[in-house]
Amino acid sequence: MTVPCVCAKEHAHASPVSDGSRCDFQYGACAKNISNLEVTLDIAPKPVKAMKELLFSVVVKGGKRYDSLVLDLTMPGMYMGANKVILKRSADGIYTGKGIIPKCPSGKKFWSASIDFPGKGSVEFFFDVVY
Amino acid sequence: MSSIESVYLLMLTTGLLGGFGHCSGMCGPVVAAYSLGLGERRLITHLLYNLGRITTYCILGGIAGMTGSFVSLAGSISNLQNIVIAVTGGAMIVMGLGIATRLRLTGRKGEVSVNRLNSLVLRGMKSISETRGIGVYYPMGLILGFIPCGLLYTVLIAAAGAGAASDSRIEGLLRGTAMLFLFGLGTLPALFLIGQLTVLAGEKLKSMFYRVSGGLMILTGIVFIFRAVR
Repeated sequence: MTVPCVCAKEHAHASPVSDGSRCDFQYGACAKNISNLEVTLDIAPKPVKAMKELLFSVVVKGGKRYDSLVLDLTMPGMYMGANKVILKRSADGIYTGKGIIPKCPSGKKFWSASIDFPGKGSVEFFFDVVY
Repeated sequence: MSSIESVYLLMLTTGLLGGFGHCSGMCGPVVAAYSLGLGERRLITHLLYNLGRITTYCILGGIAGMTGSFVSLAGSISNLQNIVIAVTGGAMIVMGLGIATRLRLTGRKGEVSVNRLNSLVLRGMKSISETRGIGVYYPMGLILGFIPCGLLYTVLIAAAGAGAASDSRIEGLLRGTAMLFLFGLGTLPALFLIGQLTVLAGEKLKSMFYRVSGGLMILTGIVFIFRAVR
């Protein structure tokens, strides 16, 4: 289950963007809703580059607390293998984990980060990386 | 099944799935290029080439597992990868020109005859064909194993992660090597099939196939060089 994306320059003030479902993590976080959850994803450092270690941060508002979440990185239209990032819940309730987005030699930069919420479905964030 | 066993199974299935999808599109032209005109020695040739390629994967996997870092490995081999893909691209253009203009490679049965000679292409073709003994395919696989590949990067990221979670560097090295070996093994059927089909199609369709293949090889070579200099 995917829903329209909202992006923002500040993590705490996510707001809708005009281009529908594509997020722009080069500028800020991106939020989506699923069931009664509001899920906000941010990626650092910026610019979000391929082949560099990245920190994925997820804030979940509403619903139950999870010990950890799994973020699945895929490239739409190109099989790139399983690239999963385990997001551990920290004391302040933010789920964080480190991962790397590989560079596709074809030049494609369009990626998807999907987070599964057991019993509720998954939210998917589409975005571009920088080479 | 333990988590370690499931990781190994995942590597094998990633290779299998990626082999018939990702690798066929990205590395298929390279395999097709060296497969043209192989004739009866195609089986051993494909085995040696793939053995070389998997050896490189194992070395890279071992390093990623031992260091627990993909980023440092990727950084240290990026220049080498650019050289490999540029040289491969150049070789494919030369071979493609030769095949498209119907140059004879080694004079074996089933190959088409010379009808146009371009001195530059001919010199390039000669140098390539003179090194096309059986012994060249294992080192060729070793070198071409460095071709930049997003799917390979993903598997190396997993190997580095497994290495970082290992109790020792030796354990990380072994786990990374095993993961990449299984991944490489998984990609083998698809690339082997492409090679075999190229040989068969070349024998059946002869001149038309060679011309189309030559054109595709030139195109692929240009793309490879573009990727190297980009």
